Amino acid sequence: MKHIEENLQKAESLLVDWNKEASHPEPSRLDVVVSVDDLRPAVKALHDSHWGYLSAITGMDLGAESGQLEALYHFCFGAAITTLRVRQPRGADAAVPTIEDIIPPASFFERELREMLGFHITGAKFSERLFIPDDWPEEVYPLRKDFDISQAAPVEGRHADELPEEGVVGGNTFVVPIGPQHPALKEPGHFEFTVDGEIVTGARMRLGYAHRGIEKAAESRNWIQNLYLFERVCGICSHTHAMAYSMGVEQLAKVEVPARAHAIRELVAGLERIHSHLLWLGVAAHEAGFDTLFMYSWRDRETVMNLLERITGNRVNYSANVLGGVKCDIKESLTKAIKEGINFLETRIRHYLQVVTTDAMFLNRTRNVGTISFEEAESFGLLGPTARASGLVRDVRVEAPYGAYRQFPISAVTETNGDLEARCVVRLNELLVSCFAIRTILDNMPDGPLTVKMPRKIPAGETISRVEAPRGELFYYIKSEGGERPARIHVRTPSLCNWVSVLEKAVGRQLADVPMLIAGMDPCFSCNDRLVTVSSGTNRRTWSWSQLREHGIEHYK
Amino acid sequence: MNTMSSLVSLLIFPAGLTLLVTGMLYEWVDRKLVARFQNRTGPRWFQPFADMVKLFGKEQIMPGTAGRFLFFALPVVAIAGALTASLYVPFLGLQPVHSFAGDLIVTVYLLSLLTMCIGLAGWNTSSRFSLIGATRALTQMFAYEAPFLLALLGPALVAGSWQINEINHYAQSHWMAFTQPVGFIVALIGLMGKLELPPFDSPEAETEIVAGALTEYSGRGLAIFKLGKSIELIVGITLVSAFYLGGLNGPVPFLLKTLLVLVLMTLLKPC
Repeated sequence: MKHIEENLQKAESLLVDWNKEASHPEPSRLDVVVSVDDLRPAVKALHDSHWGYLSAITGMDLGAESGQLEALYHFCFGAAITTLRVRQPRGADAAVPTIEDIIPPASFFERELREMLGFHITGAKFSERLFIPDDWPEEVYPLRKDFDISQAAPVEGRHADELPEEGVVGGNTFVVPIGPQHPALKEPGHFEFTVDGEIVTGARMRLGYAHRGIEKAAESRNWIQNLYLFERVCGICSHTHAMAYSMGVEQLAKVEVPARAHAIRELVAGLERIHSHLLWLGVAAHEAGFDTLFMYSWRDRETVMNLLERITGNRVNYSANVLGGVKCDIKESLTKAIKEGINFLETRIRHYLQVVTTDAMFLNRTRNVGTISFEEAESFGLLGPTARASGLVRDVRVEAPYGAYRQFPISAVTETNGDLEARCVVRLNELLVSCFAIRTILDNMPDGPLTVKMPRKIPAGETISRVEAPRGELFYYIKSEGGERPARIHVRTPSLCNWVSVLEKAVGRQLADVPMLIAGMDPCFSCNDRLVTVSSGTNRRTWSWSQLREHGIEHYK
Repeated sequence: MNTMSSLVSLLIFPAGLTLLVTGMLYEWVDRKLVARFQNRTGPRWFQPFADMVKLFGKEQIMPGTAGRFLFFALPVVAIAGALTASLYVPFLGLQPVHSFAGDLIVTVYLLSLLTMCIGLAGWNTSSRFSLIGATRALTQMFAYEAPFLLALLGPALVAGSWQINEINHYAQSHWMAFTQPVGFIVALIGLMGKLELPPFDSPEAETEIVAGALTEYSGRGLAIFKLGKSIELIVGITLVSAFYLGGLNGPVPFLLKTLLVLVLMTLLKPC
């Protein structure tokens, strides 16, 4: 706690020149209002003195009454969070200066800001769309409060934005498209790799093929409905999404969750991490052409899937959380089953650890491939295992322990090489830590109730909730205006921050390494795509929620 | 009558239909073995036949940019080359249908015709993935073609003949896998390269370039290329086992020895 105060004081003194209004909405947070012109120097001051890292940029429409748009730049340093707030009038000329030259990963956040809220980003390098569809009308921004579904009618004949020329060398190049439908990607994303022979000379990506409009949808649902909505952001790390959301809402409601609920949340999160990393190991092995490892790791993953099913009743969206606690209890017989499963998995994980560090064929595809140094990891803003493989400790569980991680702390696993092999080793070692943590929790499970009562209306306020998902830091910004529904929920998922590593590292490598590089950061497309209204694949028309609901009922009759 | 028996020997037995069936059965053995190694159940014995029937029943789509003549002619040329090559090898341990001095060289180059056709097919369809796959297939050819041919010339030199049938007879009293072990290993690896089995599968590396040179092929065209591959597999392993594993003098030694080579190759595959 002392550290947090010191860090916040340091941030306040760094920002003193541009600080127009400062407040402490929560003990670990500092809110500073800056003017648009002061944004760049303020960001630079924080960045240059290594005050944490830029975790997310949240855009908000404050509504017709105030007539303002707001952009929030969240910097995280351990458990301390500094937010720079910039306000702009709501008109067409709302603009913020780009900070991507100071902090490269900000480019992704800024593009989200532009496409979803209509901020003009002065000086930005990219102008083409990243998330919203190619035929989405100009100057219609889905996250504005006055957005109406009828505005989103597709524009006939609007084509994809043009390829930037960068990276094209000589006349002997062409572009290899990977995705949105491609055997290497099981999920929809689109990459264009410019190649000269077999060497990649340029890379570009496009997301948004499966946008589901979740952030917008959240604003029209009540607090309880939203729990199930956010659980469905991702099928692989559904528990961490639900956990981040419920923790945020509980903070806002000032409700203290029972210790037993915290412990069960961490337990399920640990099991989920095992399932997620084993899944990743299989995918990575497949990309490297090592299908035997793929089949074996997915066979063993069934053990943890069965355990999750026994605990929660579900294999994918576990639904273990409720606002104010958890839904499922761990009984004596279950404790035994989990321990047996964990013992089996631990021996398997140790075996895989040996395989990935000794198998000559696999090492050819991973050792010294896509190496990211510590400095690069920091400047790319990497998160999770991808960062930890380069020796950069980015783990919310360690830096800012939440929930049961205060009672059952874990240690951060790092490697120093930063290549694909290190990323394999970090993930597998992390699983051993998770196995240990699960056993500790089972042996010291606190007694008590599973839930506490939550109010239906959540008091006005805003909060930030950060959780370590299997892929890295998951960031939730939640704002309530005191009603039954949230005013704004912003989700920043770890995959979005890690893309930079692929795009930067692919250039200069063999085309054959590209699938491994993409797999190396464990991308999760459903994490990235969650914002725009659904458009049907065949007739490209935009559907409203009620139409979609009718279609769903009709389809599954 | 003579024409009749020639037709039968060309189309039904031993070349033609029998060869195709054997090729698909061997493909099944390979798939089943890999599946068992990977702790999977694997396909049932008729799966390769079912795949073929399905492919032949499907529509063949030609990309607009492809040259029409080459697009349809290449699979036919490829399978014709592979079928012709099979006439000179002691398939099922029987006498080759046809034999002449120097047929070893002809056979090896008829086998390469398939790779050339696949390369051309990739270039002809002018899809990005096909182009990269074709480049890789043809580049890789330089790597394995010469060693494979040299590995087959070793036994030929000892036998004093460049006629497959005569080498086969000579080999029945000399197990050259023991007298020329290096040649045997090179022949095995060269054959894996020729068949584009892993680790030589970069021309069709599905994780980057989808199906390589054959990405744009579907239906009949793809089926014919696949059949060509099966025949190449049979001809290749027949050659290697006839030369190095004590010759093939009947169906039973043929089955034992060629299956041994197949299992060896499956074990060598790093996948």
